[in-house]
Amino acid sequence: MNQSIYLLKQAWAGLRLKKGFSATVIATLGISLGALLCILTLAYIVIVKPLPYPEQGALYQLNSVVKDKNAEVLGRAYNYPSLIHLYDTQTVFSESAIALYSESVLSSLATHPTVKTIYATPKWFTLLGSQMALGRAFEQTENKESYNPVAILSYHTWKQKFNLDSEILDKTITVSGNNYKVVGVLSESFVEPQLAGTGSKTDIYLPWDFNSYHQSDNWRNRWGGFITRLHFIGKLDGQMAPSQIEQTLTGPFNNYWQENVSDIARFKGWTIQMELKSFKEAILGDSTNTVLLLLAGVTGLVLIACTNITNLFMSRTAEQQRQLAIQAVVGAKKRHLFHSLLTESALLVFASLALALVIANSGFWVLQHYLASSFPRIDELALNGFTFVSAVLIALIIALFFARLSAGIVNYKALNSILQSSGKGTGVQVSEKVRRILVISQVTIVTTLVFINIGLLKDSLKIITEPLGFETKDITTFNINVNGSSNLSSEQLQALMLELRNRLQALPQVDDVSQAISPLEINGMRIQTVEETQESLTIQSRYIDDRYFNMTGQTLIEGNFFSESDFKDQNYSIIINDVYARRLAGEGSALGKKISVGGDLLSVGGVVKGVKVPNETDIPMRAYMLTSADERQFILKMKPNQTLSREMIASILKEVSSQLYLKDLDTLEEKKSQMLFTQYTTAITSSVLATLTFLLATIGLYGILNYATQMRKFELGTRLAIGASRKDVISLIIKDNAGSVVIGLVASLIILLGLYIGFAQALSSYVNMGTVAMFFVTLALISLMTWFACYWPLRSIINVMPIHSLRDSQ
Amino acid sequence: MSEIKIQMKNISKVFETEDMETHALKDVNLTIYKGDYVSISGPSGCGKSTLLSLLGLLDMPTSGEYKIEGVDVSNLSLDEAAEIRNSKIGFIFQSFNLIDQISVFDNVALPLRYRSEAMSTTEIEQRVNKCLEMVSMTHRAQHKPNQLSGGQQQRIAIARALVGDPAILFVDEATGNLDSNTGDQIMDVLEQLNQNGTTICMVTHESRYADRATKQFKLLDGEILTTPTNRESNVNNTVEESEEVLTTD
Repeated sequence: MNQSIYLLKQAWAGLRLKKGFSATVIATLGISLGALLCILTLAYIVIVKPLPYPEQGALYQLNSVVKDKNAEVLGRAYNYPSLIHLYDTQTVFSESAIALYSESVLSSLATHPTVKTIYATPKWFTLLGSQMALGRAFEQTENKESYNPVAILSYHTWKQKFNLDSEILDKTITVSGNNYKVVGVLSESFVEPQLAGTGSKTDIYLPWDFNSYHQSDNWRNRWGGFITRLHFIGKLDGQMAPSQIEQTLTGPFNNYWQENVSDIARFKGWTIQMELKSFKEAILGDSTNTVLLLLAGVTGLVLIACTNITNLFMSRTAEQQRQLAIQAVVGAKKRHLFHSLLTESALLVFASLALALVIANSGFWVLQHYLASSFPRIDELALNGFTFVSAVLIALIIALFFARLSAGIVNYKALNSILQSSGKGTGVQVSEKVRRILVISQVTIVTTLVFINIGLLKDSLKIITEPLGFETKDITTFNINVNGSSNLSSEQLQALMLELRNRLQALPQVDDVSQAISPLEINGMRIQTVEETQESLTIQSRYIDDRYFNMTGQTLIEGNFFSESDFKDQNYSIIINDVYARRLAGEGSALGKKISVGGDLLSVGGVVKGVKVPNETDIPMRAYMLTSADERQFILKMKPNQTLSREMIASILKEVSSQLYLKDLDTLEEKKSQMLFTQYTTAITSSVLATLTFLLATIGLYGILNYATQMRKFELGTRLAIGASRKDVISLIIKDNAGSVVIGLVASLIILLGLYIGFAQALSSYVNMGTVAMFFVTLALISLMTWFACYWPLRSIINVMPIHSLRDSQ
Repeated sequence: MSEIKIQMKNISKVFETEDMETHALKDVNLTIYKGDYVSISGPSGCGKSTLLSLLGLLDMPTSGEYKIEGVDVSNLSLDEAAEIRNSKIGFIFQSFNLIDQISVFDNVALPLRYRSEAMSTTEIEQRVNKCLEMVSMTHRAQHKPNQLSGGQQQRIAIARALVGDPAILFVDEATGNLDSNTGDQIMDVLEQLNQNGTTICMVTHESRYADRATKQFKLLDGEILTTPTNRESNVNNTVEESEEVLTTD
């Protein structure tokens, strides 16, 4: 024990004298181990940890796979009446539940927040073993066809929307115009199975009967429609294999649907096949591969860090040779020296581990806040027993590795004689060949990674900074929900929208109002048929009014925009972009060309310059048609520095009609940022990775070259003594390392070319003259780094009189 | 009067640490004339090597004035000092300080490669070969230093020190790493060089080698204790001249 304390004290004292070395090792190892622990914990939760549901191994999701006449899979979606039939008649699952994922407006709150809802049957909660913070889950009283208007809140909704109100039970909330009595709040520990998409958190649970499809006679009996948001889950008790169950269910289900669509020609030859997926498979999807890739990435990062730290340790051991020699002379055996080196490396590694745990915890926060939609079960991320055990094991392995490495380069026999002879560092030696390999590998790795990251950064910045071609400043868009149970006619809605429009226009903050879809909306594909050629095209179609182009500042190339009278009279004309115009008329004028859309024959009245929404690589063909006056999408042009709060718009809506609820409210700038999230994330991640790689490699190269310089201190001192200037010595060191650096650069070029050849199709759009310039930028950075790594260790030799080098080496 | 090669006036060297000062040299005055063969001897720690480091511009004095061939070199920048070392000083180390990775020829040529004015390859070859001839090592020109014996290595070190045609040769315990026979041979070489006109200043702790010098100084605790003892000199300066310029406080 005393010996251990003595070793610890010695190691601490030694490291205190080498603050730069200690800080570099702790920072490098701390950051990389932190990233590793973060992803390792994620991998444990995603791949290894059982799902947090009772009998999770017996839980399955049943999908309905729709295939066309060529047996091509069209998608996974349920036909509503078929699903109900399945739910009512199946006997394979001992317990089952159906659910519909939806979005609604919580209109009982002043801000009319949009909430995510699940309309579910009671067994949904039983199967998931839901624990309640307050009240109860759905029971038989909420079974299908019971129409009991009750609601269950998720814990986060209770916390965020109702401030953990302990009196929430029995209170009434209004969701999309319907009133529900709150009967329960789910416990904080309940982990929702995100079957509708990773990262999608349900706010409110409502009984099945109140979903919009169930309330619509049309949908309840509509055999020709498929809904992707419907889910069936169940528990299997029997011994049947999943494939047998699929076969057992497919026959009756498919036959039942076929019987009901036999008179619809377009479904001829279509089939529905049942697909059974374990709950784990359904929840994880293909995220396991992504997590494994990430794990490989961070393991690579740790390996790079360890390579760099290896260099630092070698350099450190070289510096310690005199101290080690003295220990050897007074009787220290090899194992004593090893214990001494192990204590020092262990002290450093465990200090790094403390930092790593902080970094890992921060990583969890980042993943949960910014990448919740990328990984399942991310809410379960936290420092746990697995993290701690892994951390300690990794730390022990790394500490032993560094100690072994340091001990390995100590020549014990030479060490004994070092104090007796003129010694020039012969006690601690790493061969020049090994040093060269280390330099080459460092340069290869850093050049490849920095080049790739600069490439990613460049492409992301290009998309982020690319002009959209329309105005986004001071523009706000919003949508309106109409109470599902109100039976407003189109005329009534038109009148309400007109009144709303006038009220909005009268606001002092508002400059202009347009009744149109947001220019950043990416949905809305319509089949359009060119009258002249009868060619059918799938075109992005936007429904707009006469104010839209004026507001967005889009450029008119020929013809006219829609006029106010066009909008009022619902004139049958269409405006198209230049890409579409070229398709219709080549280099000629497309004005007057006739296009059939949904049975209406429209004449091209104007051609505008095409615009891109973020993430579109090319400008698509786009058409603009007059929106109907009852359309519930609005665009507001605000006066400079003016905004409208959600509460204010909700209050205006309420004044216009109690049947109207505010749904999505965004500024175009916000929406643009959301759409560019991937690019922003890529830009930040690639910058951080490039910088980190660059710094790590600089540290690594510094370590190797510092070691090499320490080994050559006597020689360099001699050169200085016989008249070499500082410039001469710097040139000598740079020349000596230039060969290795050039080999490293060539190796990285070969790797990059290999990547390009291997993934030519995917990478072809990335390779251009800019790539060559980028490679030269990378070369300049690597050269700068190499120069620094060559120069910095030399300072202690060339910036003092030569006697210091000669004396220190003796 | 003979030309003054080296002149030190009131030279001191203090080594400072956080809690103490060590006065390695105290107000040393020293003059060496062209053709002198000077030995500096004294016990371990008396400041011999420190004095030689200052003389060879491997280190800078804390105070005092130092001139080489009349040029003040007391306060040079690192690069200026390197220039003087290269052109006016030849230094022979106890441990030879040859570079193992390059050949004997290249070791000897090294000072010429660092000349501020580049020399032609032919001129370098001529000068290197001449110096190797002077130390009888021409046949070993293409060998690596670690293929040679200690005595041969020291001969190469002498050739390297001479190749730049220095104003003076400083010799630091040149025989310290050699057996007595080889040491004697090296001393013969130095003596021969001096007889041919090379000015030499040598540090040694062996009295039998110190005695071979034409002027002998003794150092103790950083101070020169005695006026030089003069052996029959092969150069033109007189005992009086030497006494006139070498004093201690």
